[in-house]
Amino acid sequence: MVRGPRLFSLRAPKGSCTLRQRFRTRITTRVVALSAAASILLGLTLVLLIVAVTSQRDSARTAFRSQEALAAGSQLENAVITIENGLRGYVASGEKRLLQPVDDALRRYPGLQSTLSQLVSEEGGQRQRVRRIATMIDDYVGLWARPVIGLAGQSLDRARSQLLTNDTSTPEDTVSSRLDPIRSQFAELFKRERAVIDKRQHAAEQRSARAMGFGIGGLAFVLAVAAGLTLYLRRSIVRPVLTVADATGRLAAGDLATRVPAEREDELGDLAHGFNAMADSLARGRAELERSNAELTRSNAELEQFASVTSHDLQAPLTTISMYAELLERRRGSERDGDPDLVDGIREATQQARALIRDLLEYSRAGRGQLQLEEVPAGSIVEEALERLAGAIEHSRAQVEVGEMPVVLADRGNVCRVFQNLVGNAVKFTREQRPRVRIEAERHDGLWRFSVCDNGIGMNAEYAQRIFEPFQRLHGEEEYAGTGIGLAVCERIVDQHGGRIWVSSTPGEGSTFYFTLPAAERRRDARDEPAAARAGS
Amino acid sequence: MSAVRAIALALLATLAAGLGGCGGGDDAAKKPTATAPPPSPPAVRIGTKDFTEEDVLGELYAQALEARGFDVDLKRNVGSSEIIHQALDNGVLDMYPEYVGVLLSEVADVTMRPSSPDAAYRLAKAFEERNGFTMLAQTPFSDSNALAVKPSYAKRTGVRSIDDLKRASPRPRIGAPKEFQARFEGLVGLRRVYGIRKPRYRVLDFGERYAALDSGRVDVTVVLTTERQLSSRRYVILRDPRRLFASGHVAPVISRRVLQAHGPRFRQIVDAVSAKLTTDAMRAMNGAVDIDQRAPGDVAAEFLRRKGLL
Repeated sequence: MVRGPRLFSLRAPKGSCTLRQRFRTRITTRVVALSAAASILLGLTLVLLIVAVTSQRDSARTAFRSQEALAAGSQLENAVITIENGLRGYVASGEKRLLQPVDDALRRYPGLQSTLSQLVSEEGGQRQRVRRIATMIDDYVGLWARPVIGLAGQSLDRARSQLLTNDTSTPEDTVSSRLDPIRSQFAELFKRERAVIDKRQHAAEQRSARAMGFGIGGLAFVLAVAAGLTLYLRRSIVRPVLTVADATGRLAAGDLATRVPAEREDELGDLAHGFNAMADSLARGRAELERSNAELTRSNAELEQFASVTSHDLQAPLTTISMYAELLERRRGSERDGDPDLVDGIREATQQARALIRDLLEYSRAGRGQLQLEEVPAGSIVEEALERLAGAIEHSRAQVEVGEMPVVLADRGNVCRVFQNLVGNAVKFTREQRPRVRIEAERHDGLWRFSVCDNGIGMNAEYAQRIFEPFQRLHGEEEYAGTGIGLAVCERIVDQHGGRIWVSSTPGEGSTFYFTLPAAERRRDARDEPAAARAGS
Repeated sequence: MSAVRAIALALLATLAAGLGGCGGGDDAAKKPTATAPPPSPPAVRIGTKDFTEEDVLGELYAQALEARGFDVDLKRNVGSSEIIHQALDNGVLDMYPEYVGVLLSEVADVTMRPSSPDAAYRLAKAFEERNGFTMLAQTPFSDSNALAVKPSYAKRTGVRSIDDLKRASPRPRIGAPKEFQARFEGLVGLRRVYGIRKPRYRVLDFGERYAALDSGRVDVTVVLTTERQLSSRRYVILRDPRRLFASGHVAPVISRRVLQAHGPRFRQIVDAVSAKLTTDAMRAMNGAVDIDQRAPGDVAAEFLRRKGLL
């Protein structure tokens, strides 16, 4: 709750806020700008890659179309040759069955022309050449092939005469003479289309290589950018943050002198400034705390010294007054005729004052000073306490039962005082009946829990805490004697041993006081850490 | 009376044309896009046979028609009459110039020789009109087939007419284009009309006939009477006493549907060209191409310009 406002109050002064704000945008701007630049470059690489791949795909597709065009062209040329050969065979032999392939070819060739014109490339006048070939084939079919077939239907001799050649011609010449121009155009068409295919395949290969180059280059570039960004972030952001985290760890471990460099003028600079301000604040707080602690220790010591001295010094005049009161009573005992109560009053008041001072002194010393811990049987401590209370026990005819006692690590004198006070109270706060006190010990969670149970007057639960406060009394002086210090002393002693004390009581039925002490072996383990043990209790 | 009627009709026609023109002009002004122009008929496909004179004739008709705004698709060197007429029958061509005699004997299979060129023309035209075609006006020139020999051969063998060939010894070697073998105006007619059986026959390209005759590879060849080579007296044309070779006047054969589609102007233009084609004119043009090696198109254009037809 305290840290927040203190940290807030340690923020940079208002005067530097504008400057800081201006620089704060720098790291954000840098990160955003780098991310945007990386995204743009990545996008650009992707676009180039897509363009290259698309271009390569288009080239491959076009080359494939040209291959198909070549196939269609070959089929068309074969169809024309089939027509010429077929009609010649038919005219020569007169066998109509030889016209079957001619009829097939005559049906197919328009479709092949259309396919070829669709598939052929648009480069180098190829479309125009295909149109020219189509016209030539149409003329060949319309002005030669079909008329010859028609003429043969009328007169084979006349048709045959159309196919005669001069003496110098060969049969191959005869076949080719009509088709030469067409085949020549086909040859040119194929030659140019193959050139187009080669060109496009070359282009496709180039574009493929370019696409791969773009892909690999783009990937390398993106990796380089990512590596650069990682290095940048590590150098500029992660490393400073780790430095602050390390310093925070050292600070948490108690090294309040830890500081981090705060030269940067950005968000990380703010973080460093904030950390240093926090460390300064903690150092100042610790120094202030130490000063306060020393002051309190000194003040407490002075108070204890004062109480001790006062209690001790008050003993002497009270002893003197008590002694003079006894002398006065003794000297005037036989002859006194009046005011015996006045002397008794002086004596009783003096005794009460002495008891109060003694108890006050005891309380002021209880829980102070170094404990003299030793492994000691609790039974012997109880026995010593009961010996000290022998008079009171005998006077009240109390019955005290002691259970099996363990060995504990304790300051014998102090723990004896605890048993003495608790058993004393048990014997004192009784009703008319004979007091019965039961002392037991029970192992519980590594501790020994001692209980002192009586059948006394008991108390309401609401007083269960209050009775451990000094000078708290539930009854009047005239009803039950005492100063109200005993249980407060018990609490101080038990607390110093790292234990706890409490009461369970029912009015009219009795009370049971419990307190815990560490077992001997546990105490040995935790001897070096008494404060921690106390905190755990 | 008839003159008055003619004048009255002319006046009425002029008035109607004027009113129609004005009305049309107004309509056009008011509704410039209301009526689309009538679709122009497709190009006229004119074919030519596979020798020089046909090349020249095709160019003459095509250029004259194109000069008057007709679209013409000229298909050159299609083939012999047998082939080109089949193409016409098949609808691949619309028109081609044909020799009346050849048409009769080789296409119509009419072996009877008509009494006159006009009779032959009428017969041929009737034949074509039975098949959906017609013939336009025939040319003044006549270019008949004929057989020619070298003067030395005639002197040596005494051959003066086709009849003499039967008796010539050794048997004459006849060289001619391929179709000669199966034609009536060829070996068939020589056999049937003149009784010349089993002559020694050699197929020649059309352009090599005179060279073959000059070199002595053949003794006889078939010629066209309008060929300029014949005017040099280097060759002797054999007489044809039995009129094997019929009239050689040329008349364009045309599809009647096409002729109707293109209107009377078309016929007028073609007939006008045909009317200018005299024997001298054709011989000059054939010679310009065959001997002077000029392009048929150039020769035809020059002629048409000279005659005011281009």
